[in-house]
Amino acid sequence: MTKMFTVAEMVLRDLARRRTVLGLLFLLPLGFYAARHDQTGQAIRFASLGLGWGASTAGLFSSNSAKSVEPRLRLVGYSWVTLLVGRLVALLLISWTIAAAYFLLIYFDQDIQRPGALAVMLALTAAIAVPLGMLIGALVPRDLEGTLVLIAFVGVQMAIDPAKDSAKYLPFWSSREIGTYIVDPVGDDYLQRGLQHGLGVTAGLILFAAVVTAIRLRRRKHIHVLTQPVPAGTR
Amino acid sequence: MWTSEHSGEAPDRRPQAGGHMMSPPRPVRLRATGISKKFGRRQVLSNVNFEVRAGEVAAVIGSNGAGKSTFLNICAGLISPTSGQVEVNGSVGYCPQVGGTFDFLRPSEHFVLFGRGDGLKRGVALARGNEMAALLGWSPDPKVQSRHLSGGTRQKLNVILSTLGGHDILLLDEPYQGFDRGTYTDFWEVIWRLRDSGHTIVVITHMLNAMDKVDQVLDLTPTGNERNR
Repeated sequence: MTKMFTVAEMVLRDLARRRTVLGLLFLLPLGFYAARHDQTGQAIRFASLGLGWGASTAGLFSSNSAKSVEPRLRLVGYSWVTLLVGRLVALLLISWTIAAAYFLLIYFDQDIQRPGALAVMLALTAAIAVPLGMLIGALVPRDLEGTLVLIAFVGVQMAIDPAKDSAKYLPFWSSREIGTYIVDPVGDDYLQRGLQHGLGVTAGLILFAAVVTAIRLRRRKHIHVLTQPVPAGTR
Repeated sequence: MWTSEHSGEAPDRRPQAGGHMMSPPRPVRLRATGISKKFGRRQVLSNVNFEVRAGEVAAVIGSNGAGKSTFLNICAGLISPTSGQVEVNGSVGYCPQVGGTFDFLRPSEHFVLFGRGDGLKRGVALARGNEMAALLGWSPDPKVQSRHLSGGTRQKLNVILSTLGGHDILLLDEPYQGFDRGTYTDFWEVIWRLRDSGHTIVVITHMLNAMDKVDQVLDLTPTGNERNR
């Protein structure tokens, strides 16, 4: 656990020093939110998508910047699980902090029927976005390719009719279901579907990211560690 | 063959650990057997054999593209060979040629991060890091991030991080790029000290004047038909 917290601490320190990045992470959802401010439901959904885009971009860049160092950290004794979870925890903390700020903004700015569901939606969006960005970062060789993949994801998510069946295959579909539940007098089934989808996508993305990370940071088969003791005086 | 292995023949100017030549054979710490590596259709390494013992310094030399870094990465277990195996007797520290650090973290934070991986407590990691830095004539500014360090100082940081855990085997990929003359001398003092305390050090180098300071040399320079690979 100590090692995991050390990784998380260093990821947080690294991100905290990128002040422009942090500023943009906070401002991005605001732009989305302001663009649809007059329509409560749309404003909430777009703020959520802006949060998702920002958090996944942070995940992508953070993963890519660690790619050259992580094999070295693996060599000095970190497990791939520690490296993955440490980064995930740090990025989630930052994303949930931004989500909390937007919860307060929307709560005081809009007429919300179900504020608890709003908190769930924003937290869930961040929880989906972080492993999504980390997964893309693990799969693509460089930031540019990853950014293009991410733009494609979010662009399609915003352009597609959310009522279509195919929309369910996109990562942030849950925000539409929970968003409807927040502002409209609909049944609990909307919240339930949104939660199921969001949690399922989050778990799937974390699992996929774990598999890719485990492969990338695997111990190579050609290395054979001998247990022959080294005589005293030669250490 | 371009996988020659021979002992350095120049006069031994290293500090002697008493009875070094008289002591029984030291255990093999690293043995690479039949290492070959292809990138696509390009053969980079072909049947390289190499063995280095505790208390020895080995240099890996060769022209550009000869596969020196590839060989070291294979020995560190960072990439797989096409064929061959590496036997390791002890823990491995690795210093890359470039990168290997986080731009926005300070040297002290790197000491803690790498030290924790090695099982060191925060205070011990910091103390060891600063001690090693002093040996290389460097006093890290506590507020400077590694992206603001000069190339040579950044490489000092890399060297320190590879030695922090007191690993039995050190694999150093052109560690003194950007070092000034004084630091270069300090670096070899550190290497000798480590060697005399039983560590095994493998150094990739282009600097021929380093050859007279090592126990053996692995020359990966291609010859004949392999020259154009």
